Amino acid sequence: MTELKESMKKARARLKKRHAAETRFKAFGIGALAFAFLCVVMLFTSIISNGYTGFRQTYVQIDVFMDEGIIDPKGDRDEKALRSADYAKIVRQSLYDKFPEVTARRDKRTLANLVSSSAVYDLRDMVLANQAVIGQNLSVWVMASDEVDMLVKDVFKRDEPENTRPITNMEIAWVEKLEAENRVETRFNTNFFVAGDSREPEQAGIRGALIGSALTMLVTLALSFPLGVMAAIYLEEFAPKNKFTHIVEVNINNLAAVPSIVFGLLGLAIFLNLFGMPRSAPIAGGFVLALMTLPTIIIASRAALKSIPPSIMEAAIGVGASKMQAVFHHQLPLALPGILTGTIIGMAQALGETAPLLMIGMVAFIADVPGTPFDPATVLPVQVYLWADSPERAFVEKTSAAIMVLLGFLITMNALAVLLRKKLERRW
Amino acid sequence: MQTTIFTFTVLLLALIGYYMGRSRAVSTVGGDIRKLHSLPRHYGYFVAIWCGVPALVLCVLWTLFEPQIVNSLVLSGVSSLDPDASSAVVSRVLSDIKFLALNGTGRGADDPSMIAAAAHYSHLKSVGTASLAVAVIAFSIIGLVIGRRRIGAELKARNQVEDIIRLVLLASSIVAILTTIGIVASLLFEAIRFFGKVPFTDFLFGLEWSPQIALRKDQVASQGSFGAVPIFAGTLLISFIAMCVAVPVGLLSAIYMSEYATPKVRAFGKPMLEILAGIPTVVYGFFAALVVAPHIRNIGDSWGIDVSSESALAAGLVMGVMIIPFVSSLSDDVIRAVPQSLRDGSYALGGTKSETVLNVILPAALPGIVGGVMLAISRAIGETMIVVMAAGLTANLTANPLQAVTTATVQMVTLLVGDQEFDSPKTLAAFALGLVLFCVTLCLNVVALRVVAKYREKYD
Amino acid sequence: MKPMTKENAIDIDNSLHINNEMTKPDVTSMKIPADQVKIKAEDVRVRYGDKEALFGINLDIPKSKVTSFIGPSGCGKSTFLRCINRMNDTIDNCSVSGQIHMDGVDILSKQVDTVLLRAKIGMVFQKPNPFPKSIYDNVAYGPRLHGLATSKSEMDEVVETSLEKVGLLKEVKDRLLEPGTGLSGGQQQRLCIARAIAVDPEILLMDEPCSALDPIATAKIEELIDELRGSYTIVIVTHSMQQAARVSQQTAFFHLGNLVEYGETEQIFTSPEDERTKGYITGRFG
Repeated sequence: MTELKESMKKARARLKKRHAAETRFKAFGIGALAFAFLCVVMLFTSIISNGYTGFRQTYVQIDVFMDEGIIDPKGDRDEKALRSADYAKIVRQSLYDKFPEVTARRDKRTLANLVSSSAVYDLRDMVLANQAVIGQNLSVWVMASDEVDMLVKDVFKRDEPENTRPITNMEIAWVEKLEAENRVETRFNTNFFVAGDSREPEQAGIRGALIGSALTMLVTLALSFPLGVMAAIYLEEFAPKNKFTHIVEVNINNLAAVPSIVFGLLGLAIFLNLFGMPRSAPIAGGFVLALMTLPTIIIASRAALKSIPPSIMEAAIGVGASKMQAVFHHQLPLALPGILTGTIIGMAQALGETAPLLMIGMVAFIADVPGTPFDPATVLPVQVYLWADSPERAFVEKTSAAIMVLLGFLITMNALAVLLRKKLERRW
Repeated sequence: MQTTIFTFTVLLLALIGYYMGRSRAVSTVGGDIRKLHSLPRHYGYFVAIWCGVPALVLCVLWTLFEPQIVNSLVLSGVSSLDPDASSAVVSRVLSDIKFLALNGTGRGADDPSMIAAAAHYSHLKSVGTASLAVAVIAFSIIGLVIGRRRIGAELKARNQVEDIIRLVLLASSIVAILTTIGIVASLLFEAIRFFGKVPFTDFLFGLEWSPQIALRKDQVASQGSFGAVPIFAGTLLISFIAMCVAVPVGLLSAIYMSEYATPKVRAFGKPMLEILAGIPTVVYGFFAALVVAPHIRNIGDSWGIDVSSESALAAGLVMGVMIIPFVSSLSDDVIRAVPQSLRDGSYALGGTKSETVLNVILPAALPGIVGGVMLAISRAIGETMIVVMAAGLTANLTANPLQAVTTATVQMVTLLVGDQEFDSPKTLAAFALGLVLFCVTLCLNVVALRVVAKYREKYD
Repeated sequence: MKPMTKENAIDIDNSLHINNEMTKPDVTSMKIPADQVKIKAEDVRVRYGDKEALFGINLDIPKSKVTSFIGPSGCGKSTFLRCINRMNDTIDNCSVSGQIHMDGVDILSKQVDTVLLRAKIGMVFQKPNPFPKSIYDNVAYGPRLHGLATSKSEMDEVVETSLEKVGLLKEVKDRLLEPGTGLSGGQQQRLCIARAIAVDPEILLMDEPCSALDPIATAKIEELIDELRGSYTIVIVTHSMQQAARVSQQTAFFHLGNLVEYGETEQIFTSPEDERTKGYITGRFG
């Protein structure tokens, strides 16, 4: 008994140290988790705080005189002439009239840049819609330029010294005069959702990228879903256990871990150069992303098929169904929720993918909204990349806003996958 | 567009075939379908397959190879084309010809051989389309007739249809193999061309990387140099920084989640890590360039250290954050696979949780964790967008994480975005880098997947 | 598991005397002289989530003897065994109430440090669970945790005597550095027993230690249990009534979370008082 006591004493002596080590280790674990959480929070706050203003746009009210001498000097109301008239002059004139004290040439040029160049198109559209406006004095709301927009949204600070801020005191004075006359307001930025890309931040929108993404995803889904499910069915239900099958399986697992940019090289060399697919087109992008998503769908579908108990198959075969019938009548419908979940997750990955699409030229500046999968297009994440590369400060908020839209889609898709799994997946 | 019309025509014929096959099968047995070997619809499928599949295969082959054949035929007639003209010139001439054929005017309208080529092109196109139409329709009608003829009560329609479906299933699973072959082939093909221009050893061991080739032909002196060592070093530096973040944080959070966390904490922690995993890399890249890099620079400034605005540290840190969920979920899997009996054994001897984790669980799970970390490394060196947006462009052989370095993926993007000329080493160099990247990641993946599989077998 | 500080720790080693007023008579419990009682359970209840697994167990376990728990599967015998060294703490939704006194201290109390407690109460599991380490490291694991050996030679001695005690030393003497998982099932189980006694516990809990072993290995373990009886208080859960009859001096019969009958092994097997015990022993259910 005394000997026992001796050993216990030793153990007791170490106890404090051991518990301290335990607490320390646990704290490391909590710290790791907290770090990850902090990263999520920082990422989201920085994106949202930069991006929420992107959904609003500043408008300025200007008084324009629709001078017939400028719009239609010949007076024959020829539509071609009306279309190509120098509306910019009207806009400029309206601003010069508003601020008659501005006389220096350089200042006048700055003044003309107070409103977006899209004002010109607004006026043109007004004239084309209703020729009666020619010769009249109108008061119209037009988009402010990106710098004014930044100033009104308080991104450019008025109280900063002039030499550190991108907008001059003079311009601020103009904006403040307009503000005093209630000629400045911010509205919901519908333009952001209906316009294509533009070099001018205030005119740039994500419509083109959204449609491009949708077309690309359509091609990806149309290819990878049937191929993936069929491959999974073959490997899970029909493949003999031989060397070839083993190679296919190993190959699929490895393909899932190949860097995405390598798929881009494949697309460039095979789809573009060998098969002559159009550059920058959603069809090529869809093919590349389909190959990239294929392993994800195959692996998820196989798991879903595997989870179905063999008794179902045995029952079907027992009443005289062929194996093929048993698979298509029973296994596949039962596995469908799992397959769909995997597919949605794979599509979400594809939707966020950028690198391979850079390789096949979906990174060009494309202002038009694509109509078919064969038109040049860009996709949402590439649009993010392009805008992030632009030097104008106003593109930061556009980028962040586009990211918010992208994340919105991804979160919706993932939530859908989770919901599907919870609602439809059966536990055997 | 024509192929779409053909496809629909064939599908329509196949549908007709289905109903014809069905009704013929029923009528051969006088309506008593019990006498048939298979169900009536199997006979329908049978005829539809005979009718549709050969014709559709023809359509696909045509779309794949028609452009190449037509292009080479047309180009052979253009006398003004230098036989060893670069691919860029060839493709420009081609597009000129196509434009001419379509609009009747354009560049080269004054060159008779070009006009002839344009006419030749239009001619080939129309002849090709017409012959395809005839061939496709003939194929499907012949198929329909053959299929219908073979129908009889004895025909094992279901078995034949199932055999074909099985073949289609097999073919789909081969797509994955074809993808790998395609990757290897395209990388090898272009990389070999690159090594024809730049010696292999220069590429692998050269210390200087400046791929910007001379703009004019006479600028021989400014031939770019393609020593990839600085690029490999930069890739490794950024990956190393990323692993320094991802491995401890990922592993510790996995341990905490599986061994310590209450179900409530787990229910919060797991989705959080999943969110981190679901964020597109381009968003991480934006975050790195917009938030992290300026921050690190400011901190460096306040300590009087000169930090590059595209420092390896910023890109590496953010990449590490991106890989945290990857490491954590892989580690979580392997830690969970360690049998509970080992934990019990340790607890029963009076081990604390941390002692059990460090002395029993981690050693037992080590192979799996090593495999997971290898997969994570492979992911880090293949990651593109974060480094494209936050790391530097110029190759810089340094181990200083505060300076700008470049990576293989960044170079691939900069070399291939914009004008591509498939006979200049500049463009081909991207494929050589891609080949190296693919080989390294493949080795890591194969070994890692094998290690993890072996590990799983042990505890299954 | 709450970390323990010196202040609130109840000194479970320094309380050798037994508090007499705690030995209340009990219907199912047999009378054991108070100074012979090593473990005294009072109204131990266990629930997993909403499911109750033990309905108030009262039981005295005597010192330096073998006590066996028998009963059909799911009767709670293993659950009760795991209460004695607080292994149930490691299960998330398991809650234990009541008191288990060891040498007069309630080991279910929150203040008791489970780490130290488990050093005093060793446990051997159903399936042999050697760590994936060398034989030597397996045995040395416990002493290292608790710092029982100060030098390499001291550790060698602890390992050797432990292996000697379980009769394994001769068999593995020249391969001490090979992995413990490479041994046969019976050897692995004896290794696990050696691992448990290397920390010099007072009590050894065995949860169906032979259920995964063949008859020859089982015989060896049973022999070993008999030898160890002198130095340790042993509690063994077993499915085999023959085993209970062979190795134990006391037997407790559990049924559906209740302790039905507890007494001298011979008496339980020859003249059980309860119908249920009789039914189980004669093989009418179980």
